[in-house]
Amino acid sequence: MKLSDEEKRILDGREDLARQKALELIVRYGNVVEAEELCQVSWADLFCGAHAYLDVITSNDFDELFSRMSLCTSETAVLESMDSNCLCYSGVEPDCTEVPEHMLMTPAKQRQNLDILRRFVAAGVVLSGTCIPYLTGFVPLMGEHFVSCESSAVLFMNSMWGACGNGDGIEASFCAAVCGRTPLWGKHLPANRVGTDVVAIQSEPTSIHDWDVLGHAIGSKLPPRSIPVLTGPFRRPNAIQLKSFFGALACTAGTEMCHIVGLTPEAPTLERATGGRKINEQIAVTPSDVRQSIHTLSGQGREKIDYISLGCPHYHIDEIRRIAAFLDGKRIHPDTLVDIWTAGSIKYMADRCGYTETIEQAGARVLTGSCPSSRGYPKGIRTAAYDSAKQRMSAAQETDATLFYGSQQECLESAISGFWEGQ
Amino acid sequence: MRTKRIIHGRGALGGIAEGPALISRRTITGWNGVDVYTGNVIELGHPLEGMSIKDSVLILDGSKGSNGWSVFFHAAQEAGCGPAALVFPRLDSRTAVTAAVLDVPLVTDLTEDVFDIIRVGDWVRVDGNRGIIEILG
Repeated sequence: MKLSDEEKRILDGREDLARQKALELIVRYGNVVEAEELCQVSWADLFCGAHAYLDVITSNDFDELFSRMSLCTSETAVLESMDSNCLCYSGVEPDCTEVPEHMLMTPAKQRQNLDILRRFVAAGVVLSGTCIPYLTGFVPLMGEHFVSCESSAVLFMNSMWGACGNGDGIEASFCAAVCGRTPLWGKHLPANRVGTDVVAIQSEPTSIHDWDVLGHAIGSKLPPRSIPVLTGPFRRPNAIQLKSFFGALACTAGTEMCHIVGLTPEAPTLERATGGRKINEQIAVTPSDVRQSIHTLSGQGREKIDYISLGCPHYHIDEIRRIAAFLDGKRIHPDTLVDIWTAGSIKYMADRCGYTETIEQAGARVLTGSCPSSRGYPKGIRTAAYDSAKQRMSAAQETDATLFYGSQQECLESAISGFWEGQ
Repeated sequence: MRTKRIIHGRGALGGIAEGPALISRRTITGWNGVDVYTGNVIELGHPLEGMSIKDSVLILDGSKGSNGWSVFFHAAQEAGCGPAALVFPRLDSRTAVTAAVLDVPLVTDLTEDVFDIIRVGDWVRVDGNRGIIEILG
């Protein structure tokens, strides 16, 4: 691999041990994928906090924890700062730190979490507390290189903005943020961003829920490592619908990039989207595929619902506005717990608009920073419902509860009656 | 016992290791798909559910689910339950990072369909220096 003089200097270890170890991991990663050189990373969306996977290390020492689990070294390096040219977000947190009365973490864990977050702030990381960095000021422009620990965010920013990032995960993101570099390979190279499969959408998606289901239906039909090119005719989706769509698609198929002809910047035409390559076969996604996805994701019958979690990916302010409008003057069933997840900066807007108050008066909660996948489930939950295919699929690994899936409207109607009102 | 069989590929991380094959064309969900304290696959309904990645030669076709794929294999390794070697017929960004993080022998870019050749439990040696996989029995 071709390394710059500065990169060689960092690897010499005379500058800073953390930077050296971070770059060593990046170079090893680059060699694994036969990258010819590294590229400068200017945006990093991380996964900061006392997350459960770190429990395998019994030490409470931040530097030991960070060195072993993020820099991937048994030597303990002290994290002074992230790369000065890289803007860093903390990403999803392990619990709703901003509303301590609703946290599930033990007090000891809460202290450890805050200690960890403080160290990251000292190193220059912004506490974003969200899985939708792209709606809260994390804006890598076309051709800029980013890293993100959030699969749906990688798919969104590659597809909608033409920014360049791989879904390479937590350690690689931390190391890239510390040394400011990542291997120049995968979606960082234009040649690897062209469409590989043409997907003919034969359903007629119009709502957020339609697009969420469609993400699962397409993801279930794609071959590994596919870059789908969506062709219509269908009504042009907006960014909120695409947020749900990309969440479901990334989770189902590991997709990192998706072209939509006439909408995404690298797909003005089908020909441009495929890089001039003619793809004769099409993957058709039919109304029957969509029905099959709903059937796969939702439980059957009108069961009593213990828990409803909404806001995966974290809600846009308009989705919260709609919930407030629906719940205004209504009362959620006393046996049903309803959590609505968003970013802290979006909740600030919801507070100012009075949405939070309306929602709380109805008996639901607006929570920030996290979600059930990171913090776990309240005790005694036997049935749970979601309006997100991504959250529903993750939940299968996280809880023994019977799981239901439907639109936001169906979830809210269930919240009022206390029974599943979806299909 | 079958005769020794060799499969060729690219050695992407050096070293030699051997162990029982844990192989599936259907990849494992990383996020909560592996119990890090035992190495057991806990993804419901997965063909390898209940089997352990510990000291195995882990052979999977890619990754799926969350970007947090590598951390579960990494945490299992920290708990002494990581795989001995890795075989990914083709790399994607999650599998490549997982290999770099675990830093165990890795062979990729295979010339044959390994899923038709190796079965769960076959004793396999992975030579990351020469880019070959030997089925020893």
